Amino acid sequence: MAALSEEVLLVVKRVRQRKQDGTLYLMAERIAWGPEGKDRFTVSHLYADIRQKISPDGKAKIQLQLVLHTGESTNFHFSNESTALRDRDAAKDLLQQLLPKFKKRANKELEEKNRMLQEDPVLFQLYKDLVVSQVISAEEFWANRLSLNNVDHSASNNKQEVGISAAFLADIRPQTDGCNGLRYNLTSDIIESIFRTYPAVKQKYAENVPHNLTEKEFWTRFFQSHYFHRDRISTGLQDIFSECAKQDEKGLRSMVVQGVKNPLVDLLSLEDKTLDEGYGSNSMAPSTSSANKTVKENSNSAIIKRFNHHSAMVLAAGAGKKADAPNDQASETSSTDGNSRDSDFFQPPVKKVKIQEAIEYEDLHMENGKKTVALNLKKSDRYSHGPVPLLPQQYTTSQDIINSVNCIQQEIANYKPCLTQVMSSSTASSAIAALSPGGLLMQAGSQQAINQMVPSDVQGELKHLYTAAGELLRHFWSCFPVNTPFLEEKLTGHLEDMFQMAYNKFHAWQTRQMLRKT
Amino acid sequence: MVMASEDEVSLLVIVVDVNPIWWGQQANREPQFTLSKCLDAVMVMGNSHLVMTRNNKLAIIASHCQESHFLYPFKLWKSGDGHGDDNPSTSGDGKYELLSVANDIMAEEIKILMSRTEVKGNQTDTLLAGSLAKALCYIHRVTKELEAGQEIKSRILVIKAADDCALQYMNFMNVIFAAQKQSILIDACVLDSDSGLLQQACDITGGLYLMIPQKIALAQYLLWVFLPDSDQRSQLVLPPPVHVDYRAACFCHRNLIEIGYVCSVCLSIFCNFSPICTTCETAFKIPLPQMVKAKKKKLKPST
Repeated sequence: MAALSEEVLLVVKRVRQRKQDGTLYLMAERIAWGPEGKDRFTVSHLYADIRQKISPDGKAKIQLQLVLHTGESTNFHFSNESTALRDRDAAKDLLQQLLPKFKKRANKELEEKNRMLQEDPVLFQLYKDLVVSQVISAEEFWANRLSLNNVDHSASNNKQEVGISAAFLADIRPQTDGCNGLRYNLTSDIIESIFRTYPAVKQKYAENVPHNLTEKEFWTRFFQSHYFHRDRISTGLQDIFSECAKQDEKGLRSMVVQGVKNPLVDLLSLEDKTLDEGYGSNSMAPSTSSANKTVKENSNSAIIKRFNHHSAMVLAAGAGKKADAPNDQASETSSTDGNSRDSDFFQPPVKKVKIQEAIEYEDLHMENGKKTVALNLKKSDRYSHGPVPLLPQQYTTSQDIINSVNCIQQEIANYKPCLTQVMSSSTASSAIAALSPGGLLMQAGSQQAINQMVPSDVQGELKHLYTAAGELLRHFWSCFPVNTPFLEEKLTGHLEDMFQMAYNKFHAWQTRQMLRKT
Repeated sequence: MVMASEDEVSLLVIVVDVNPIWWGQQANREPQFTLSKCLDAVMVMGNSHLVMTRNNKLAIIASHCQESHFLYPFKLWKSGDGHGDDNPSTSGDGKYELLSVANDIMAEEIKILMSRTEVKGNQTDTLLAGSLAKALCYIHRVTKELEAGQEIKSRILVIKAADDCALQYMNFMNVIFAAQKQSILIDACVLDSDSGLLQQACDITGGLYLMIPQKIALAQYLLWVFLPDSDQRSQLVLPPPVHVDYRAACFCHRNLIEIGYVCSVCLSIFCNFSPICTTCETAFKIPLPQMVKAKKKKLKPST
């Protein structure tokens, strides 16, 4: 039934479906058709379910066909003689706009699943073993896995913004053309940087291109205008960029007026002060009227102003991206984005924190360590005894000890090394025999590792079976603690079957292997 | 195979277990293989090592139950000088001087060591951990005294006679881990009964452990198995490593256990569960598995 709150986007009368007259309604999330005279819909499809729409031209009947993901298709025949074509086209256009929005959502999941399967061969094998052979249903398989990955996906969508190089204007190195001209190489990166940094230029571009000037002409004029060049002496020529220059001046002035609100930064101390007259006691306020200054000072201050302005614009363009969206209109005119944000930033509580940070050192605070409980060992000598079990030592009587010591002392007192008769040749050869492969001492080496005895394909299959068994066990353990009747049912009914099937599969494999051997 | 470069020094430290009580008893058990024979075999091993390459160095430590004593090199001996009155460099058989000097020093020192043995009933265990520690210190010193550009590779060969002493466990393990950190191999040649500590030492440091069936063929075993250094061993067919028993012993009975209970506070191991750890006296509350209440079956109304 049509929900009352649904927004109806298009109504087309006299649409036939299955030889019945009726009306076609296109809503925000679905398309529906109801027969004439009745007020309920017999056909209703969500846009998400529609895979594609087909509208064959040139046929006698003006139709619109919708194919769903499930494969079934619905045909609508526009039977209004006069407006049929227009109706159908209107419906088609609206669908064309709406379908892509919903399409993405449906496909995204499938795409995600495919991507995961392709990336992880172990997962793919598990999928093949369990879902394809019907041991676990596909929903259960994806139940835990999809939720995890959706989080990752959305996190990676927030890409970082690329900043602007402050030297982007300098990168446009003009090359002499050979015949008294200059070539400027502009890449799209540079153009983007210019637009982001100088919104005034962007505005000019939007106004003039492509109506008045071509892009090439626009950029040629840009480079020719004095706006771009070092000495921005306003020549009074009617230049499209002279407005930009005036705007920049305005912006710079308002920036200066606002100043920097960070209490720890004192820009005024960086002023140029001359010490010639009065050695600093004569603190003259620098005059801002250009009439007093010499020509050289004028051009110097102009270029310094331009540098400052450029840097401020680059910073503003790079920093103020998030809050830009709602203030888009305002920021076009006021080129003081960076600093206005700055002043907002340094509200009283933040200012206090900033000052606090500057005056306190963490290391010099009092130690307020966490409360710990001391380890209290009653029998710490237990640790110093190793795993060597205290077997009863061989008891030697003190007489034995005395005898042994005397014996050895006597022997060594008369010791004379006799290195030519250390051992006989027969003992030597028997020792060598024991050390040769196959001898007494070399027995352990002849054992083969088990992974050399089993062929690798059998090993591979066994590994697959093992991971599949692990997956089943994971489902089993995730049912505990048994809180809901659903889990209980799953445990006793569903899982039992799964295990049984898995066991049968394994048993079949095992008998196959054994038959192969015999 | 990488040949040892001219600048690579190979230092072998042999630690010989000269426990007088064990060797005295051995003299009665097996008169054909006594301490003298053992020392002869060790000398052969030492000489062979010295003649392998000019850059090889040797040290021999005797591990007694009262001290650990360097048999070679002699403390006050400077290279090239004879010591004392007799001039061993002109000793009779035309042997390479270094070897004859070394042998003489060793013989002399063992005599001195044994002559000052005192009989004490409570000191019957070989001070093996201490000897190993001395060996490590010596290696460290030699490493520091190398000339610029020389590299050194050291290993320790332990020839063990008497049984393990359980009281030296901690010291032993510390020595083993120190050797491992310094990449010093510890090899073991065991004469009588298997030693768990030395098995662990060899496993951890990468050395070879061998218990020899025939004591009189000791020299042959030493030359065959323990003379090649670690680079050359990979090219030879040598006895395979033994399986080491790394099971822990429970703190209550010192039984070796495979599965046990560990206190999470003091990490002491027990074979049985007890609610209070006896080492650190922490009380543990283990939640018992909850009993699942039987559901009352709903009576269905008869239709």
